[in-house]
Amino acid sequence: MINEILNSITFIYPELAVSIFLLIIVLVDLVFHKDKKYIPYISLAGLVITGILVLNQIGITHFAFVPQLSAVKKYGMMTIDPFGSYFKLLVVVTSILIIFFTIASEEVIDLKERLGEFHALIYGMILGMLVMISASDLILIYLSLELLSLSSYVLAGFLKLRERSSEASLKYVIYGSVSSGLMLFGISIIYGLTGSTNLYVINSLIQGPQINLFTLSFSSILMFVGIGYKISAAPFHFWTPDVYEGAPISITAYLSVASKAAGFALLIRFIQTGFTSFISEDGYWTLIAVFDWQALLIAISILTMTLGNFSALWQDNLKRMLAYSSIAHAGYILLGIAVLSNQGLIAVLIYFFVYMLMNIGAFYVVMLISNKTGSENIDDYDGLGAKAPFLGVALAIFLISLTGLPPTAGFIAKLYLFIALIDANMIVVAIIALLNTVVSLYYYVRVLKHMYLTKSEREQENITPSIGSLVYLLVLLIPILFFGIYFTPIVEFARSCVSLLGI
Amino acid sequence: MILEYILFAILGLVAVVTSVAMITRPSPVMSAIFLVLNFFALAGLYLLLNAQFIAVVQVIVYAGAIMVLFLFVLMLLNTDSEHAILKEKRKLKFIGIFIAVLVFIQIGYIVFYSAPSDSVTKEIAESINAGKIETIGTELYTTYVLPFLASGFLLLGATIGAIVLAMKKFE
Amino acid sequence: MNTIPMEYYLLISAFMFSVGVTGVLIRRNAIVVFMCIELMLNSANLALVTFSSFLGDPAGQVFVFFVMTVAAAEAAVGLAIIIAIFRNKLTVNIDEINIFKW
Repeated sequence: MINEILNSITFIYPELAVSIFLLIIVLVDLVFHKDKKYIPYISLAGLVITGILVLNQIGITHFAFVPQLSAVKKYGMMTIDPFGSYFKLLVVVTSILIIFFTIASEEVIDLKERLGEFHALIYGMILGMLVMISASDLILIYLSLELLSLSSYVLAGFLKLRERSSEASLKYVIYGSVSSGLMLFGISIIYGLTGSTNLYVINSLIQGPQINLFTLSFSSILMFVGIGYKISAAPFHFWTPDVYEGAPISITAYLSVASKAAGFALLIRFIQTGFTSFISEDGYWTLIAVFDWQALLIAISILTMTLGNFSALWQDNLKRMLAYSSIAHAGYILLGIAVLSNQGLIAVLIYFFVYMLMNIGAFYVVMLISNKTGSENIDDYDGLGAKAPFLGVALAIFLISLTGLPPTAGFIAKLYLFIALIDANMIVVAIIALLNTVVSLYYYVRVLKHMYLTKSEREQENITPSIGSLVYLLVLLIPILFFGIYFTPIVEFARSCVSLLGI
Repeated sequence: MILEYILFAILGLVAVVTSVAMITRPSPVMSAIFLVLNFFALAGLYLLLNAQFIAVVQVIVYAGAIMVLFLFVLMLLNTDSEHAILKEKRKLKFIGIFIAVLVFIQIGYIVFYSAPSDSVTKEIAESINAGKIETIGTELYTTYVLPFLASGFLLLGATIGAIVLAMKKFE
Repeated sequence: MNTIPMEYYLLISAFMFSVGVTGVLIRRNAIVVFMCIELMLNSANLALVTFSSFLGDPAGQVFVFFVMTVAAAEAAVGLAIIIAIFRNKLTVNIDEINIFKW
């Protein structure tokens, strides 16, 4: 057993690196409490190291922490596979972008004294996400989900002097605890049904004839509540707009990309590992006929995107609007999973990469403008195109990409999604998604209209972003435009990362 | 054997009654005390289930630590009872009862059929063995060593978070 | 082994769970809402211990151990958030706290 544990440690180097740097940050914060401006750079260094370790793992497929008993069929606590590595890489890149984001954000600069705790909690989130992405045991899934949630509850309420922030945090923690309680009850029923907490064992046991279908479906739905809350799918999305509005902007951007990505990775692994009986040659998954995941996912995704898009129409606060838009995007991504094929999975991977770039970019511009004006109201964007030409163009490109119009990468992401849908003969669903995209055009273009066509009533000085911000935006903009035209590399990369450690 | 049934009946009844009392008492302090009683009854049920270690931890951690924290915060904040609200919103009461019955019927039905598919042990030795601190300790440090470490970081994160949020001033 | 069938234990667990869910929905005091969440977690614990005992498999009890860790952490963070809000608004009533639309 000890050999197995020592052997497994070689497969969790990224997680170990994150844990070590979490402790380093806490210690540095304690020892050098006078001067905290180095802390962001320490956390950047840690993330770069983690990123390199994750890159080293790409292509490896292996079980880690295999219990002694599993002689007949191999399974472990954690599963290292290309799919997991892709999502880990996505989380690490997002985190690096967010650390740069916080360096420019005034809200975070104002924290001064609490910078150490801020970064330690971000590391707590990263650790939770990395473990969650490759966890294949319900105990580990529950714990990592809670690690991610607890850190994000605190981060959402970090600006405790601002009333909105702590209230957002309370709402977040109540919704979060209830849904994780429901998920726990679901887990306990699954454990009772199968006598195991490992997804691979559960998979082989629920293929047996004597399983009670109704009970299993119910516990699957309870499990989905916990995950659906993390990805803010429709009936469990109520917390999203308020938390996104109340939290610091950098954390909002982080929640909307990274923690959503980890939630989706968990959902895909849960369905693929727990419920798929085999994968056909052309990449379609055949699920064990115990629970109709496809119907549930299609219903939830249509509900999610419709609710998200229509609620976004009336929002005057840009942060809130982007929150609803991120709910709608979760709906599109869920459709990619609902196809239940490798092609759909490729679409999801591409979508997440593009979504990361455009969503963080949009939030970054909003943050720069709110640094200057102190609010995120849409009226503050009047005449922005003239006052801050570069920011205006950048935001316009991000929003066009979020809508999914060519020649941006957002178009490619949606294109692959729709191709996957049509290949699977889900024409009606594809049409609904397309109509939703048209609706979303309205509220994205509304911002553009405010920026370029409405004259500002107030006199405002020009907003000139710093060199650092210019570089940051260019780093996000160039891939969006580049992959919008030449998208083979990202598609190829996603294709190579699509395999999960098999059934 | 008959003693087992009597104990189960008493403990089960206490658990059921205190849980209902907990959500219906308007005073938060009373709710907290009923919850502590409920946890004691659960510890008794765990003993009946041969889970000695969990029973002890239930009393020490839940009743001894978590509920003391709750009571401490309740005393600190000195919040009013919800008497007025519960009286004002009679509708809320009926909605509450309705939801409770609905959820209970659903879950009760489901739970009744969720008996383990096979391998329900008839061996009392195995069941007792599963609850021993030795077995749990071995499992914790071999098979479940990774979740164990993760829970350590969970507590670290929660500590940092709680201090950040509850500390009054940083300057 | 146990003469008491496992369904009895599970029924108690189900009952406590539904009471917990109802409590979350009807109570207005944020601290009591957290206590109701603790009740939900405990009902799941009872189910886990029951299954574990009847299966003769320690995994369920190990899980309960972890759930208790999570419950303690969640209570600490939740109560800290409540204290932070109480400083600002002098109330823990979740109806008064909402400046957002639900």
